Amino acid sequence: MAVPAELIHEFPTTAAAGMRVPARFYADDELWRQIGSDRSVQQLLNVATLPGVTGCVYAMPDVHEGYGFPVGGVAAMRAADGVISPGGVGYDINCGVRLLASDLPADRIRPKLHDLIHELARSVPSGAGHGGRLSLSDAELDRVLVEGCRYLVERGLAHPEDLDVTEAAGSLPGAVAGFVSRRAKDRGRDQLGTIGSGNHFLEVQIVDALPDTRAAGVLGLVEGQVAVLIHTGSRGLGHQVCTDFVRLMDEVMPRYGITLPDRELACTPLASPEGQRYFGAMCAAANFAWCNRQVITHRVREVFQRFLGAQGDLRLVYDVAHNIAKLEDYGGERLCVHRKGATRAFGPAHPETPARYRAIGQPVLIPGSMGTASYVLVGTDANAALSYGSTCHGAGRRMSRHAAKRTKPGHEVRRELEAQGIVVACPSSGELAEEAPFAYKDVERVVEVVDRVGLARKVARLRPLGVVKG
Amino acid sequence: MRDDAAPVREPVARDVGHTAEVELLARGRTFGDLLAAAGRGLGELSLGGSIPTASGEWRLVQVQAGDRAALVVNWLNELIYLAEVDRWIATEFTVERATDTDFAVRARGVTVDVPPSRVKAATLHGLEIAERDGLLQAHVILDV
Repeated sequence: MAVPAELIHEFPTTAAAGMRVPARFYADDELWRQIGSDRSVQQLLNVATLPGVTGCVYAMPDVHEGYGFPVGGVAAMRAADGVISPGGVGYDINCGVRLLASDLPADRIRPKLHDLIHELARSVPSGAGHGGRLSLSDAELDRVLVEGCRYLVERGLAHPEDLDVTEAAGSLPGAVAGFVSRRAKDRGRDQLGTIGSGNHFLEVQIVDALPDTRAAGVLGLVEGQVAVLIHTGSRGLGHQVCTDFVRLMDEVMPRYGITLPDRELACTPLASPEGQRYFGAMCAAANFAWCNRQVITHRVREVFQRFLGAQGDLRLVYDVAHNIAKLEDYGGERLCVHRKGATRAFGPAHPETPARYRAIGQPVLIPGSMGTASYVLVGTDANAALSYGSTCHGAGRRMSRHAAKRTKPGHEVRRELEAQGIVVACPSSGELAEEAPFAYKDVERVVEVVDRVGLARKVARLRPLGVVKG
Repeated sequence: MRDDAAPVREPVARDVGHTAEVELLARGRTFGDLLAAAGRGLGELSLGGSIPTASGEWRLVQVQAGDRAALVVNWLNELIYLAEVDRWIATEFTVERATDTDFAVRARGVTVDVPPSRVKAATLHGLEIAERDGLLQAHVILDV
């Protein structure tokens, strides 16, 4: 199926000095107008200058400016002679989303919703830096970093079947705990099982529409059912890994003859000692993030069972990263695919699509902003040629944090959400204002473009009943 | 802060239209002043806009880097690390030594029960240190 031409905005290599490949944006007219209001275009053109970049660099419909890479950017570098860039992954390594589904109809929990949300807020620490409930020794932390969620099965914090529906089974094999600095370990040690601040959240949701009932059936989703969406990442540990390696690569780049339009794109060849050390540390931080979401899942399951008994069982539907670099094969060539604010979206035929989802494609989880819908999509086989098997990661910001706070104070945002029947547990009114729905692009529009381009297909829409925010 | 090295007081965090992050603006008569102002601005952001009176022991904090821009970033990342791990937010500074590649400062601040929840990293993105109206200034994009 051809991509509608009006949804493609492409810049040739002549658009800016040093571009090695074209840069392509997927957006409709309204999203393209919003994208043009910040520095996303210049940032993606800068990414197109990186050594070893191949094919085309892509921006998803939810793209917005970041630092170095735009958020919503995808770039693939040849593994043999291309670079790896910590900025192409982002500070929150393996920030991602997981979806849990219950067998409960929403009516069953409404009478307990307020108490349930506040108990979740107590059991799952939220704000940045808050200590979690799982304290780790050095040896235990190293096992988290190297083994990921496999270690949590041994600890009784994960079901074995959870691994079947977690990207990479929650454990990247290239992880090297020794490449993660002492400082990063210090920051992460007591943060396993915490949400963090900013746009991270935990939501209790209701499945309210099924655009594809067949695929929804395979995922075990039915209309009116209660689900839980968790959006968080690798916390201080991942941030420190990125900080450490941006600094290192910025210092050693001249040794490799690399000059860049933006120092935050700092990089070295993947095959270099520095590149290999970053890759090993990034994989370890990614494993930490999957464990973080898994420990939160364990806490959420405990709370649901306390409130609802056996009917409160929660089944993991899927867990997917949207800040990561992965080694993948395209056209017989091994590439290092950087996804910064972009979600992997493999089709039914891809060998990494979980066995139980081979009939429909890999699930893609798109969190909306507070008060708006979230989406479940599935990847397509055609996407391999459209964006290295990638799609959007959310609604994408359209308004700065200051502008959001100026537009509406946090207490008003809280009142409006509560007027919609959404229970809110958030200690900071300021952060509530910064993350208000109007600060984001229209998720419905973003997902519509994704579906029309063929990056992924819509399966289910969920809307919030209650939200726990950092 | 010693009077002869007092930083120029400005609003240190402001909206410059970045869609997702926060920009810190720091100014100083000297590079050492600028670094101290950046540290104070970060403390103010971390504490939600108000700075309580500093107390406790003075601590020596030192950072190095290959150039001025990297030194600004390394300095702020050092303070972010201390805030998160030691739960100590530096707010008052006495510059001991400031070159383009080396910064040593004595600092006092406040300890907090809960580590600050706002700033997670300082970035090199678009960071330039320039002289304007007789003052050195730097704009630093912070990951929040």
